[in-house]
Amino acid sequence: MSAVAASAAIPVSRARRRKRIRGSSIAILVFLTMCAAFVSLPLYVVIVTSFKTMEQIALGEVFALPTEWTIEPWRMAWSEVCAGMTCEGVSHGFWVSMKILFPSLLLSIGISAVTGYALALWKIRWAGTFLFVLFLCAFVPFQIIMIPLVLLISSLGIFGTIWAVAIVHSILAMPLLTLIFRNFYKDVPEEIINAAIMDCGSFWRIFFEIILPMSANIMIVVLILMITTVWNDYLIGLIFGGVGTQPMTVILANTVITSFGVVKYNVDMAAALLTAIPPLIVYFALGKFFVQGITAGAIKG
Amino acid sequence: MSVRWNWVSPRIALIPALAITAIAFFGAIIWTVWISFTRSRRFPDYAIDLADWTRQYERLFGDNAWQTALQNVFVLALGSALAIVFGFILAAMIEREKRGEGFFRTLFLYPLAVSFIVTGLVWRWMFNPDLGVQNFLRGLGWEGASFNWLADSHTAMYGIILASIWHGLGFYMALMLAGLKSINTEIWSAARLDGVSFWRLYIEIIIPMLKFTFLTCAILLSLGVVKTYDIVLAMTGGGPGTSTWTPAYFVVNSYAARGNIGFASSAAVMMLVMTAVLFLPLVLVTAWQARRREAMVQ
Repeated sequence: MSAVAASAAIPVSRARRRKRIRGSSIAILVFLTMCAAFVSLPLYVVIVTSFKTMEQIALGEVFALPTEWTIEPWRMAWSEVCAGMTCEGVSHGFWVSMKILFPSLLLSIGISAVTGYALALWKIRWAGTFLFVLFLCAFVPFQIIMIPLVLLISSLGIFGTIWAVAIVHSILAMPLLTLIFRNFYKDVPEEIINAAIMDCGSFWRIFFEIILPMSANIMIVVLILMITTVWNDYLIGLIFGGVGTQPMTVILANTVITSFGVVKYNVDMAAALLTAIPPLIVYFALGKFFVQGITAGAIKG
Repeated sequence: MSVRWNWVSPRIALIPALAITAIAFFGAIIWTVWISFTRSRRFPDYAIDLADWTRQYERLFGDNAWQTALQNVFVLALGSALAIVFGFILAAMIEREKRGEGFFRTLFLYPLAVSFIVTGLVWRWMFNPDLGVQNFLRGLGWEGASFNWLADSHTAMYGIILASIWHGLGFYMALMLAGLKSINTEIWSAARLDGVSFWRLYIEIIIPMLKFTFLTCAILLSLGVVKTYDIVLAMTGGGPGTSTWTPAYFVVNSYAARGNIGFASSAAVMMLVMTAVLFLPLVLVTAWQARRREAMVQ
């Protein structure tokens, strides 16, 4: 009885549903597009501002396209704009950030990959406890260890150098990266490791010849996570970088916040874009891995 | 021989990580807690005056800027929570309307790749009273439009909240989307067959199923709020006055500008306490979920 009623009702309801879904689809797409506009509006404003002349900016039409496109602000931002006392543009900061990035990546990924591998695949009795401790450390706010780290780094005699910034980045990233690597390596079948050990494989040979070649996926995820973290960092660069070794974000902030005289908004915005471009390139080129990276960084722990 | 080396090598390999944990995390935290009980000013002074060991904390809680910072943390946490709400709405819509999923996801997430400093500077420009959005709105004929939030100590915090939401929205959307995708597809078709209405489906079934995703988001958000520093610096520099100070800003300012290590340490310890209080539920939830997953496997 009910089956008959149901089968009779299906065509009607299906027809009605299809119509209703189309209506709600449009509503949803309109809403999503509006939200997308909100999200992309600041980027649009910054881009058009950076190509305008100061005369046009003074008119106050923030959303208007440049009437006269100029790359002069970009050139000034790159090589001439003043940050505090020095006037060499953000290019200097760009190269410093690059110099900080590579040792940071090498150190943090090197230590974390080996640690994660040892904890995941070699029977160490206190591995569980240590992982829990790392989990706690991953959430410690930087400010609480900042001052003792300054003293520690000073006592090593490298305070104010690129290495100081790179080492502090590696220290801070180590707990989280180790957890990510360990979660990846723990799914390696035990048989592979046992067979490798039988085959006279040592701890390091197994790591370099078996484990590392199969880590490409997780390496990309971790690389993206670290590149964006290190590049976008401000505080570590501010505290641990000295004169001439401050990363791009610090130079940018000094340029925009402590500018004297007539503010050149177009140059400021070009400088901001120059600073934002490297992580944005990483994001748009490797979006899928980026999402994995940040969600791994957020919850897997 | 090789067996012995295979016992020793992993333990040697763990030495750097153990050293970092012991020195840079545990040692440093103990150092900061210890210093917060001393009279240290510009240089560390390790003697604790037992009669007066709470002096830094008494000064801290008597400090108006610290009171403001504490209030701002709450305002910021409540305001930024909108990012979770909107993140869920967006995720639900993207999940429901499969068309354009990749496009919208990419677009909503890109602010996350932009640093807080750049985010702050960009929004500072949007809030510019003479040349920014306010001027545009007035130009449209809305004479009373006021978008100069950052200049007023009552509204500056809302400006920072807006920029934080812009920055974090995509992140919570991505987490929610992952949660929604993990929901068994049979629930959707079962609900459709039962004729459950749209609102009831979400409010009574989907949201309760995602309660741990929501909790995780809320905890991550509050942990992030406690650490808020860069965006405040880039947008307002703590101003007007001290109205947009946050605890993290307070610590850095006490250390770098005032040069007072003991005072900065006491504020940093309070940050650690806040983090610990927020963190405890995350540990419990993670443990609970791990147990549930094991139970499901068995």
